[in-house]
Amino acid sequence: MLAAVIVILLAAVLTCGREPGVTLEFGMIAGSNWDVANADSCVIIDKAIEKFEKNNPGVKVHYYSGIPKDDYSEWLTRKMLKGEMPDVFMTLSNDFDKMVSLGMLENLDDLIQADTTFDSERYFSTALAYGEREGHQYALPFETVPTLMFVNKTLLNKEGFAVPENDWTWDNLTRICERVTKDTDGDGKIDQFGTYNYDWTEALYSNGGQLFDEDGKKCYLNSANVAEAVKFVESLNAFNDGEKVTQEDFDGGKVAFMPLSFAEYRTYKSYPYKIKKYINFQWDCITLPAGPNGSNVSEVNSLLIGISEKSRHKQLAWEFLKTLTYDEEIQLNIFRNSQGASVLKTVTGSKEAEEILKRDTEEGDKIIDNELLSKVIENGMVTPRFAQYEDALAMAEGEVLKIYEDEKNVDSSLKIAKITLEHFLSQ
Amino acid sequence: MKKLQKISIINCMMLALNWVIVILLCVFLCLTTNNICEHFIARDFIDKLEAFPWQPVRILAEAVVMMFLLSASFLWRELCLKENSRLEVPSLIFDFCISMLLMYVLNFNYNGILLWVFANIIFRIKNSKGQFVFALLAMLSFVGTDYGLISIQYHFYNIEDYLEYYSSGIQSYLLGGFNLLFSLNMVLFIIYCIFVIQKQRGTIEEVNELYAQLSQANEDLQKANVELNKYAVMKEKMGETKERNRLAREIHDTLGHTLTGISAGLDACLAIIDVAPDKTKQQLEILSNVTREGIQEVRRSVSELRPDALERLGLEYAIRKLIKDTNSVTNNTTITFDCKLERLKFDTDEENAIYRVIQESVTNAIRHGHATRIHIMMEPQNGGIYLSVKDNGCGCEDMKSGFGTAHIKERIEMLKGHVEFKSSDGFLVEATIPIRWGEEYD
Repeated sequence: MLAAVIVILLAAVLTCGREPGVTLEFGMIAGSNWDVANADSCVIIDKAIEKFEKNNPGVKVHYYSGIPKDDYSEWLTRKMLKGEMPDVFMTLSNDFDKMVSLGMLENLDDLIQADTTFDSERYFSTALAYGEREGHQYALPFETVPTLMFVNKTLLNKEGFAVPENDWTWDNLTRICERVTKDTDGDGKIDQFGTYNYDWTEALYSNGGQLFDEDGKKCYLNSANVAEAVKFVESLNAFNDGEKVTQEDFDGGKVAFMPLSFAEYRTYKSYPYKIKKYINFQWDCITLPAGPNGSNVSEVNSLLIGISEKSRHKQLAWEFLKTLTYDEEIQLNIFRNSQGASVLKTVTGSKEAEEILKRDTEEGDKIIDNELLSKVIENGMVTPRFAQYEDALAMAEGEVLKIYEDEKNVDSSLKIAKITLEHFLSQ
Repeated sequence: MKKLQKISIINCMMLALNWVIVILLCVFLCLTTNNICEHFIARDFIDKLEAFPWQPVRILAEAVVMMFLLSASFLWRELCLKENSRLEVPSLIFDFCISMLLMYVLNFNYNGILLWVFANIIFRIKNSKGQFVFALLAMLSFVGTDYGLISIQYHFYNIEDYLEYYSSGIQSYLLGGFNLLFSLNMVLFIIYCIFVIQKQRGTIEEVNELYAQLSQANEDLQKANVELNKYAVMKEKMGETKERNRLAREIHDTLGHTLTGISAGLDACLAIIDVAPDKTKQQLEILSNVTREGIQEVRRSVSELRPDALERLGLEYAIRKLIKDTNSVTNNTTITFDCKLERLKFDTDEENAIYRVIQESVTNAIRHGHATRIHIMMEPQNGGIYLSVKDNGCGCEDMKSGFGTAHIKERIEMLKGHVEFKSSDGFLVEATIPIRWGEEYD
């Protein structure tokens, strides 16, 4: 009886192992990861699959289409709980930490080591670091998006300013804001503003500072960089004389500066969206202004793709992951069919990429050339992705908001807030 | 036999209960996972998790296979395996390994199956050392496989995280239900242990009784042995006295009588030698005859003192008879005789001495040395013979006190021989006896 059971089990195992053709499952987001509309989201993937299947005869890639970003986490988790994890899948930055700690993402170190054709130096270091945790690579970046500063060219020209150079500083921004913030219709209320949505975290990154360490053990809220950033934004807001700047003000061309992502920039600069939004004025994008202790850097986000730890075809999955993230031909499609930038230095810095970027710009635009883009990405700021990061950041923002609203002493309040946050982090 | 059946029934009940618990746990995992996925709360749910069961349906299948293996092993042991079979221990080790594997599959959320495995071990392992080792193993593995302890070091899924999915009312029912089953398993295990202990206590009492009987018998035997020893010593002394009396009587009757006659005759000769030399000569002739007769008489006396066998059948046969008789009387002593002499025919006193030495040595070896092997060896040496009696007994530290050795020495020295006693490895009597080859006594 025992022998019969063993024979049946063995037979089952053997038949499972001998599949005629291998099918790789791929989990992906439909649409854009960058909260902008994207009708061509599947095009890059389709091309990558076509190339991969050509290079690996007998292997098919199947992907689940039509899962928007908002539903993706839930969908992926459901797949995970049911034990149907795709072999290769996109990971949102909010899920990355949990996926690693639950052991769902394969540690890629060995695969990278074993692959002599693979050189991780070809990735932007910030993009690569996005898929890293505790010194191990768990995912590779697919697409990267830095944060830029939106400039209302029409408004600046009207006030007698040229678009700032890409090495501009906080002082330049202060000077411009001071001059453009005014009451234009004479109703006694300020209706033209310097900045919208530019807050102290952006100022902090360009002032060479950070809020938390990589694994969420320490909080640097009491550092000089943070105090400077908080005070700087406070000084900018002071020009507004208590008036709240709204999205309508911005859309109506009443605000000079607003941080926005490279993906938004590309979306609203290209057809058809450029005739739908920001149509009353000319606009452009530049880097964020440098603080006294920092440079013109900003936050860089990346979309990650990893391999399931439970995948039975890890080598094939690795090849497919490489096709998606390491193949120059495929990566160039990011400029063609998506709104981000390629994670490969050679692709983002290439002539073809430059051509594609130029195609969308209007005459007289000070375009983001790809040399600058490369610099912004390479020197960018990677925010930590530990489990409570989002909550800790929200807490820190709340504390600083209280300082602004209650007009508290910045330095001492930050010290107290730091203790509160570290207490939260230690739990 | 009745107790045995009861134990088997409880064992079966435990196995059935474990089936229920394991299946319920796995089904619970499957259903809860399904519910979570259907209610679109998977992402929020995993925030609380340290780990989760990979493919709950597969876990169910694996658990069923393992429970099946455990049941098969149990049935095989109960129905096919004879008691104290060599396959018993391997089959128990197999059970232990499978249960470990099962607990691993369940991520140590349930370790009650170990109780069932140890119930079997307690019942089957009878040697006390083995029981101790297994009890230690049981304790360590039961403590070591506790979820709370093991999850400190490793990431394992926790059933309680899955319980939290349900509303608090349902949660308490589910938790209560599971705890009830776990406790029932524990209770069954304790009842099982009590039955096994009772059964073993019965056996122990029986053994104790038998042991008491045995020690009583042993004591009696020892007493009898002491009595017997005393009796033997007494008997020997009595024999000795009897022999001495006989010897004295013999000497008095024969030698004394003849010598008295000779002495009187010689006195008469002294008185008449000057007066009547012829008469004296006549008298001396008579005395000579009387002396010869006396010698004959002495010879006869000595012959009378010889053991029967020796007298009737000769030395070789007498020695072999002695060996045969001794071998047959003492059932754990083996005597070997190695004779390198062609013919064992000497003068009576020589034969007597040889026979007595052998007899005395053998007696000593058995009585005092408690030997199990005695080797007698005779070979020609320097015109005489060399005789050795070697045994493997405990020897004798203080030889002076030995009565027999003095006797042997006396006899050999009377023949101008030499004897040595060695007591290093057993006891060794070595005698060299000069032989009067063909020399006539008279």
